[in-house]
Amino acid sequence: MTDVSAASRSSDAPRGKGAEATLTPPHVPVVPVPPVAGGAPVAASASAPPPAPVDPRVAEMAELKRLLLDAERARLDANEARLEANLLTPENLADRLPEAIVLRASQDKQLARALAPTVEAAIGESVRRKPGEFADAIFPVLGPAIRKAIAETMAELVGSINRAMQHSFSARGLSWRIESWRTGVPYAQVVIKHALVYRVEQVFLVHRETGLLLAQAHPPHLQVPDADLVSGMLTAIRDFVGDSFSGEKEVGGLRTFSVGELTVMVEQGPRAVLAAVVRGQAPESYVRRVQETIEGVHAQFASALNEFEGDTSAFESVQPLLEDCLVTVLETDPPAGKKVNTTPYVIAVAAVVVLLIAWMMWQSTRWSRVITQLRATPGIVVTEAQRGWRTHSVRGLRDPDAPQPNAIFVAAGYDSVRVEQQWEPYLSLQPTLVLKRVARRLGAPQPGTPSYVLRGDTLVVVGALDAVWLARVARRVTWPAGVASVDLRAAQPVMPAALASPADSLVSGRVLFPAGTSQLDDAAYAVIRGAARQARKLASALGADGVSATLTLTGRADATGTDSTNASLSRERADRVRRALEAQLREGAKTPAVRYDPKGVGTAEPLPASDSTARARMNRSVSFDVRLTIDAPSGARPQ
Amino acid sequence: MIQKKVCMVGVFGTGKTSLVQQYVHTKFTDKYHSTVGVKIDRKVVSVDGTDVTLVLWDLAGRDPQQDVGASYLKGSHGVIYVGDGTRRETVTDLDDLLRVATAAAGPVPSVTAINKIDLTEQWALTPEDYQALVKRGALFRTSAKTGEGVEEMFLQLARFLIVPKAGA
Ligand SMILES: Nc1nc2c(ncn2[C@@H]2O[C@H](COP(=O)(O)OP(=O)(O)OP(=O)(O)O)[C@@H](O)[C@H]2O)c(=O)[nH]1
Ligand SMILES: [Mg+2]
Repeated sequence: MTDVSAASRSSDAPRGKGAEATLTPPHVPVVPVPPVAGGAPVAASASAPPPAPVDPRVAEMAELKRLLLDAERARLDANEARLEANLLTPENLADRLPEAIVLRASQDKQLARALAPTVEAAIGESVRRKPGEFADAIFPVLGPAIRKAIAETMAELVGSINRAMQHSFSARGLSWRIESWRTGVPYAQVVIKHALVYRVEQVFLVHRETGLLLAQAHPPHLQVPDADLVSGMLTAIRDFVGDSFSGEKEVGGLRTFSVGELTVMVEQGPRAVLAAVVRGQAPESYVRRVQETIEGVHAQFASALNEFEGDTSAFESVQPLLEDCLVTVLETDPPAGKKVNTTPYVIAVAAVVVLLIAWMMWQSTRWSRVITQLRATPGIVVTEAQRGWRTHSVRGLRDPDAPQPNAIFVAAGYDSVRVEQQWEPYLSLQPTLVLKRVARRLGAPQPGTPSYVLRGDTLVVVGALDAVWLARVARRVTWPAGVASVDLRAAQPVMPAALASPADSLVSGRVLFPAGTSQLDDAAYAVIRGAARQARKLASALGADGVSATLTLTGRADATGTDSTNASLSRERADRVRRALEAQLREGAKTPAVRYDPKGVGTAEPLPASDSTARARMNRSVSFDVRLTIDAPSGARPQ
Repeated sequence: MIQKKVCMVGVFGTGKTSLVQQYVHTKFTDKYHSTVGVKIDRKVVSVDGTDVTLVLWDLAGRDPQQDVGASYLKGSHGVIYVGDGTRRETVTDLDDLLRVATAAAGPVPSVTAINKIDLTEQWALTPEDYQALVKRGALFRTSAKTGEGVEEMFLQLARFLIVPKAGA
């Protein structure tokens, strides 16, 4: 009805004629136009052409026109000029466009709507023609967002598939099926309910090489085993698995293992290992958290980890990071509407996409990892690193004692031809490099293997070492860069290899006595003469090198007699041998500088022998030994 | 707190486990349970006023031909070599073990214990053997049974590990 009425109202007469034909008789004209008598002359005068002959009336007419219309004409001309100026020439448009767009955009969305198709087409065209440039331009915005989204989707997908797979075939899965059937709760919910319950009971940060505990955290109320021991055992287990299941343990290493109800998750970094003891089943996202934590620890404590010598105080501030890993997730209902889509196609496609993206991400991670490793290597400074499509380039500084960067690239799987490297030599003051320089410059003592420790710029030498070598070290005035002085208090001088044979014959000689006396017989004098010969050799060789020799003379007595007589008898024997020896040494051309240290031990430190007669004979004796000390170097030591 | 990793190295049955038990728990038993893999124990010692935790890795006994277990030695700060004075070959084998261990752990400080000195009747080392050993540097005659020399031996190693502070 409304349609009809609207149509009848809006229709004008001539068109309405057909529509209303039934209402109006056809022979009656709707609009009668009767000829009007006065109308024709008016029309004729307005449209009649001017008569050709000049007529004074015409001139008058023109004059009249001018008088009447000139003002109007001037205004008309001005208007025309103004119109011209406002015409849409490109110049005008360029001036006004920005304002206009702002103005319109603030009023309504019409402009955006109008422009959208064009902009879309333009972007499409641009992408088709120069995809590279376009990608470059938007990468900074999109890259992180895409990565994050993919990582999350992937983790969720993989995690839920894993859980569903594991649980549908295991014994636990079976018991959950029964539970589901018994309680009427859908199976998926039972699975997720159980899978989500976990508690992290202890977190360890363990120094990778030594297995020493750097820090640990556990919930305050929980009883936990001795962390030092656990951390040691953890490393031992890791070493054991590494030894048993693959030649190189760097390759994969142990990731998780179970002890009863507990699962230990192990995340390895280059210098430290993070282990989380989990009761229950931790989801994939927790693995990522542990990974992020160990990465964070490496980033934040890089130098402390590199220089770790057993002092854990540098790692006190790592505590909050570990405490962040102590998670307790109680039974929660799974988020509604989240179902695992196990359609094989979806999984296959997702897997391919995920693999592709993972491969690309892996390429870039691999590069940043190898560069991070280079940067973390003492004695290597990377100033520039560029990853190309096929070839890469690195430049920087390298201490001659630092590891070969090329080996690091090769170990990371790079073809060394593809990595162009340029290393300027420099001297690093990093302790490891200083110590390498020291080891190279000081050479090897004979016998002994020195350990070096750097305390500030003081070099501490540790170990039982060749005395002559030690004396030379003590006397040294110039040191490799990074060392200013030396501390030998932890070093113990031992007989140099070159003097082993005189020292041997000296200490294997033994002056024997008849029972109950300290008298020296001919055989005794012969032994003493021999000892004096060797002692002279030793003392003169050592003295020249700045080492003093002290002859210890240990007197003994056999088991007969009282302890006090034995004590004084053994001391007497030692003193007597000392006097005879001293007299011998004074007889030569030059008396060597030898100190004496005679003592009587009675029967306290008996020499072992096969039977009692032999033992008694062997213990009525004085035996020799040599103790070495390094002479203090003359002159002031450099500060 | 300063911690140091210390490995016990020696042939089977020389008394590595017994030395650690004596030192840490003041316990000794005549029963012999050969160690499999590694057993870890710990003791805090005070060296000239500095506390240091020795984390003791008691390795399974080994003969020098087999060098498996080198990975346990990696990263050690110190090594204790243990020979058995009643079995001469366990002492002479120490030279080979020293080479194996040094290859794995690097030139770290070490001490040598000639163990079971309480068994004088069965003593198999001649004074000459002993003198040859002295040249290795820090040498101790110990008994895990009576405790003789045990404390001193561990303390000497700790002293090597805690090097004196500069500018004393
Ligand atoms: N009398 C005596 N017996 C000892 C001493 N030390 C160890 N034993 C005994 O020697 C045997 C072996 O000792 P362990 O400490 O187990 O030897 P181990 O070096 O740990 O042996 P593996 O673990 O197999 O390499 C045990 O029966 C000990 O009781 C000691 O000082 N004196
Ligand atoms: Mg054992």
